[in-house]
Amino acid sequence: MQLIDKLTVLADAAKYDVSCASSGAPKRSSKGKDGLGATNGMGICHSFTPDGRCVALLKILLTNFCLYDCQYCVNRRSSDVPRARFTPEEVVTLTLDFYRRNCISGLFLSSGIIRSADYTMEQLNRVAKLLREEHGFRGYIHLKTIPDADPLLIEEAGRYADRLSVNIELPTEASLIRLAPEKQVVTIKQAMHSIHQGEHQAREEKGSPRFAPAGQSTQMIVGADATDDSTILHTAQSLYGDYRLRRVYYSAFSPIPHSPNTVPFEAPPLLREHRLYQADFLMRGYGFAAGELLSGPGNLALDIDPKLAWALNNREHFPVDLNRAEPAMIARVPGIGVLSAQRLVSLRRQKRIRYEDLTRLRCALEKAKPFIVTHDYRPQLATRESLLLRQQLSETPQQMALW
Amino acid sequence: MHLVEFDGSFAGWRQAARRLLHEGIAPHAITWRSGNEAPGLFDAAQASVPATAASARVRIPRQLLDELEAAARFRVADRWSLLYRILWRVAKGDVAARLAGDIDGSELHKRLKAVRREAHHLHAFLRFRPCQSEACGAEFVAWFEPAHDILASASLHFAERMGRHRWLIATPDGAVFWDGQQLQEQRPCPPAWRALAEQPVDEGQALWLAYYGSTFNPARLNRSVLESNLPVRFWRHLPEGPLIPQLMSQARAGAQRDGQAAAVARQAGKRIRAGVSGNADPDRPD
Repeated sequence: MQLIDKLTVLADAAKYDVSCASSGAPKRSSKGKDGLGATNGMGICHSFTPDGRCVALLKILLTNFCLYDCQYCVNRRSSDVPRARFTPEEVVTLTLDFYRRNCISGLFLSSGIIRSADYTMEQLNRVAKLLREEHGFRGYIHLKTIPDADPLLIEEAGRYADRLSVNIELPTEASLIRLAPEKQVVTIKQAMHSIHQGEHQAREEKGSPRFAPAGQSTQMIVGADATDDSTILHTAQSLYGDYRLRRVYYSAFSPIPHSPNTVPFEAPPLLREHRLYQADFLMRGYGFAAGELLSGPGNLALDIDPKLAWALNNREHFPVDLNRAEPAMIARVPGIGVLSAQRLVSLRRQKRIRYEDLTRLRCALEKAKPFIVTHDYRPQLATRESLLLRQQLSETPQQMALW
Repeated sequence: MHLVEFDGSFAGWRQAARRLLHEGIAPHAITWRSGNEAPGLFDAAQASVPATAASARVRIPRQLLDELEAAARFRVADRWSLLYRILWRVAKGDVAARLAGDIDGSELHKRLKAVRREAHHLHAFLRFRPCQSEACGAEFVAWFEPAHDILASASLHFAERMGRHRWLIATPDGAVFWDGQQLQEQRPCPPAWRALAEQPVDEGQALWLAYYGSTFNPARLNRSVLESNLPVRFWRHLPEGPLIPQLMSQARAGAQRDGQAAAVARQAGKRIRAGVSGNADPDRPD
């Protein structure tokens, strides 16, 4: 098999893992040095595919041969897909070539499980070691961690990689037992724990080798089982708390060829995935708790964003006086982000906030209007019922595609 | 009305602005004219400025100067008067002038954001190609069309990335060449460099195109997000640019009900038998 054919198969096999971040790495530079590559903490999206997703890293599997039979996965052993395997040297060549062309900022390498978890992990480590030690590669490396692999192998991976990830795959144990019979919640969490420990040690003990400085992330598949958004968000919240994950990715289940009967034939609406990302962002950046966004079982609303939904359910906090309120409360107003909230706070040290200031800050005023008070503005809509407001503010459904 | 002529550089503007500030000339009384006219014009213009009593020494925060320098890279017909107005207001104690909520500050921040974004576009969407020509001197060359004057300030990024490689970036206005040690800037771009950067497509791109086609999930086609993240003006110079409309129409034609790339779907599959030891071991022959 030619290299280009392997690449075609193994990029297709890897794309259902949506993580592509190249951010969070420490500052490294190759200026005037042997070797190649730099990181500065900021991620770069070098391209976007027509699905709107960014291409920051060369995201491939080392091989899509796999012993496991996870029902939602295109590479499960019972799947009728072409199979291929890269040698570690081929992955190195591709990474360096794409990197020099400025097509990518690094490598995201994962693999099907071949022979054993330990063997597979050793192979992944070998690629990272070649890149770092033989070729002086200072770009970004994200390695998938095989849950059942020896903690010593995970430790080795952490020395070479900027980011490690173990996929939780499904939000509940029952779903995992049903759809991914070879995987166990307990080993997945043990692997997350090992990574968390490694990060902790590298931070606390002076002189200890670096360990995955861009932290760890995970992915949950949405819509392959009946789990609701509330369970998903609560699971994410506990992962952020227990293992200090940098990111939880939500991947809307994408129908796969020759799909088994255990998983749906239809994809969930992409909007559901989008709302989960918005809710996740509110938990990470705005101090919302999962229970505030969804107090009982159920899904996030599709027609309005989760911040607006929270505001409509909690009218007693509004309207917020932008000249007096705490910055954190200003950031909770629909249509005003954290950055705008900071800017309003610095502006109000100089003058009274007026309505036109919000226009200049490019806040989403249609959304914010019913919830704010400024020096020269009080909302007429403040007393309007939430139900009416919601009808007014909901995003009108889009016309369906013709084909 | 004072006509102030200078060389069009930030340093030139700064020198002139400092002088005007000392002389207490208000922003509305100044017309800025930048250009590459011979030196001497500037001095002549200076002569027309009446030497009023210089005000006390003006202190301008370093950070504001950095902001003004960055904002000066924004291409707009009259880029200098806003900068002087903000400088003037801050010098008079009106610090709100540089905040995003202010009438001038919001324009400043709009320009800063656009300039930052364009530097980011350069870092993201520029594509190096191995240089075919022996005479080139550079190992990698690229062509880029930035919307603002960010080439010199933003291209050092590639010195960090490329190690000891020598590279060249040509644009419609200027060009930069990294010789392994230092960055040389040339304005205008030498025609020979331009020719090198615009050489026809090289075969090495085939791997990248195969990757791009395969990593796209046709079941999730989303044109509007694509276009907001990767503006159409960049497609022309990206190797994957011509593939974009092709992949979109294939996906839209409904051939794709799932996420698999067409090039993979055409190939024969291979199921792996459960429980047979070594069966999923690609090292072993079938």
